[in-house]
Amino acid sequence: MTAAPRRGRLAGSPLLPMLVVLVIAVLLYLPLMLWANVGPASRALANGADLGCPTAIACATQLRNPVLPAPGQLAQGFRSLSVPPTAPTSAPYNAVVTGGETLLGLVLATGLGLVLAALLVLSRSFERATLPWLVTSQTVPIVAIAPMLAVLLGQYGVQGFLPKALIAAYIAFFPVAVGMSRGLRSPDALQLDLMRTYSASPGRVFFQLRLPASLPYLFTALKVAVTAALVGSIVAEISTISFSGLGKMLAENSRASDTIALWVIMTYGAALGVGLVALVGLLERVVTPWRVGR
Amino acid sequence: MASGAVTWRGAARRPGLGAMLPLALSGFGLLGLAVALARVGTAPGRPLPWLLGVLALLLLGVLGIRLAARGEGRAARVLPAALTGLLTVLAVEVLLRAYGVPAGLIPTPSRVLAALWEARTVLLQDTFYTFVLEALLGFGVGTVIGLVLALLVVRFRFLERGLLPYAALFSSVPIVALAPVVVKALGLEWPSKMVVVAVTVLFPVVVNAVRGLQAAQPLHLDLLHTYAASPAQTFRTVRVPTALPFVFNALKVGSTLALISAIVAEFFGTTGHGLGFRIQIEVGRFNLAVVWAAIVLASVVGLAFFGLISVLERRFAPVPQGS
Repeated sequence: MTAAPRRGRLAGSPLLPMLVVLVIAVLLYLPLMLWANVGPASRALANGADLGCPTAIACATQLRNPVLPAPGQLAQGFRSLSVPPTAPTSAPYNAVVTGGETLLGLVLATGLGLVLAALLVLSRSFERATLPWLVTSQTVPIVAIAPMLAVLLGQYGVQGFLPKALIAAYIAFFPVAVGMSRGLRSPDALQLDLMRTYSASPGRVFFQLRLPASLPYLFTALKVAVTAALVGSIVAEISTISFSGLGKMLAENSRASDTIALWVIMTYGAALGVGLVALVGLLERVVTPWRVGR
Repeated sequence: MASGAVTWRGAARRPGLGAMLPLALSGFGLLGLAVALARVGTAPGRPLPWLLGVLALLLLGVLGIRLAARGEGRAARVLPAALTGLLTVLAVEVLLRAYGVPAGLIPTPSRVLAALWEARTVLLQDTFYTFVLEALLGFGVGTVIGLVLALLVVRFRFLERGLLPYAALFSSVPIVALAPVVVKALGLEWPSKMVVVAVTVLFPVVVNAVRGLQAAQPLHLDLLHTYAASPAQTFRTVRVPTALPFVFNALKVGSTLALISAIVAEFFGTTGHGLGFRIQIEVGRFNLAVVWAAIVLASVVGLAFFGLISVLERRFAPVPQGS
């Protein structure tokens, strides 16, 4: 009984633990940042660089390319890369471009994955011939193919938005196909027998039983696929002659060794990844409302 | 019953015999086409007849595969996939030669095999660098830290509410955005890639291990309580066995992510070793046969790694898992 009031007290403020962990992380970040930057700072001072500060500790927060940026530097980096948000050189604009490529790839992957999943379920010989390759493909580092696919598509004149979406689709396709085939197979014998007692045609069994039953599996697969597709989009942007996208920004600032910009872009990439998964989750609630309670 | 048994044996034999002829015709036909085109040396003027020939032979192969897939024997499960792979490779070889696709765009499978052999020393060194030093070490570090964090989270409720949401959130962070930051911070050598891999593996391990440790049924915990079992005994006999399937699921996901993370991290800077570096630099040279050879090697290593974890899973967590 002593546990109950304690649980109630904690349940009363569910955000408190997250806030405490966040504060602790921020407090730990400051000494970690100083520790990481003091080495480069002392080396710069020893080389006679005029940093405008007397000691390595003081200079640790003022390096042009810090290992870990100071909060002020991070804020300045966010400002310079985010304003105005619609400029072609701003991170928000490029994040939207990358997000668009990823979502288009996801739509293509879903369409193709659904067709393949249906074939896997309806034809046992097709399943036996191809399912092992599909499962195997999930252990293949397909993202490594992105640079080569990008070059290939470029040679055949496919440029701009579409090659990145195709690469994202290629990477997202397999988890969708495998997940959907598992979902289409998920109705149990009792449900199938019930359809049989209704003299339901195979088409009705597929569209009114198997397809609805597979939707939760589809969205689980999409959450896995969307993260992989995002990586594929960004790698494709790095590999091609890209004029927009987070990948282009990453490649440019990586070559320029602008670590503050890289941190800002990483944060936008993280937010984009979380946002895309949340978008899939939102769509899941709309399409499968009976699962909201789980 | 005797007649039934005879019929059953006859039925079992017939698919094998029936499937063999079309499969042999399809395979040897495609092989013959490939050899003929290799002798020609240059692309024939009109590729359409070759295309039609390939399609006809593939249809024959599909018929054979359908016949081979009948029945419930081990051969009926293994043969269709193996034959599909073989026929696909042969068909790709013939079509690439017939259409005269430049090797700088899509190399033929035979050229990829030749590149694999010629560059085997460099590619094996790259594989050791990427897989052992980066992916495997990173996987080990990420797994250990993940399991420790999971134990802490389950032990202290405050950490569950405080840490677990962040772990779930960070699972959605694309590794390609994390990699350049870590590489710039830790240098071009393999330790920076190892850190990227460890971070990538860490989050699925934490999330899945916590879910597994919390999956112990209250009925089982209460039973141990009535036995006056110590917390350590309860943990060892109930929570750990219940968590193992979840942990191995996470390890399988992690094994795939580890190799991918290592390769992608190398795209952002390395000292001249590694499969990711090899892929990137040879793509720039349009030496795609070596690129495909590197990918084949990475696939084989990835499969072996995944397979090893699956074997360990069957050994330590034999409980059948739901989807």
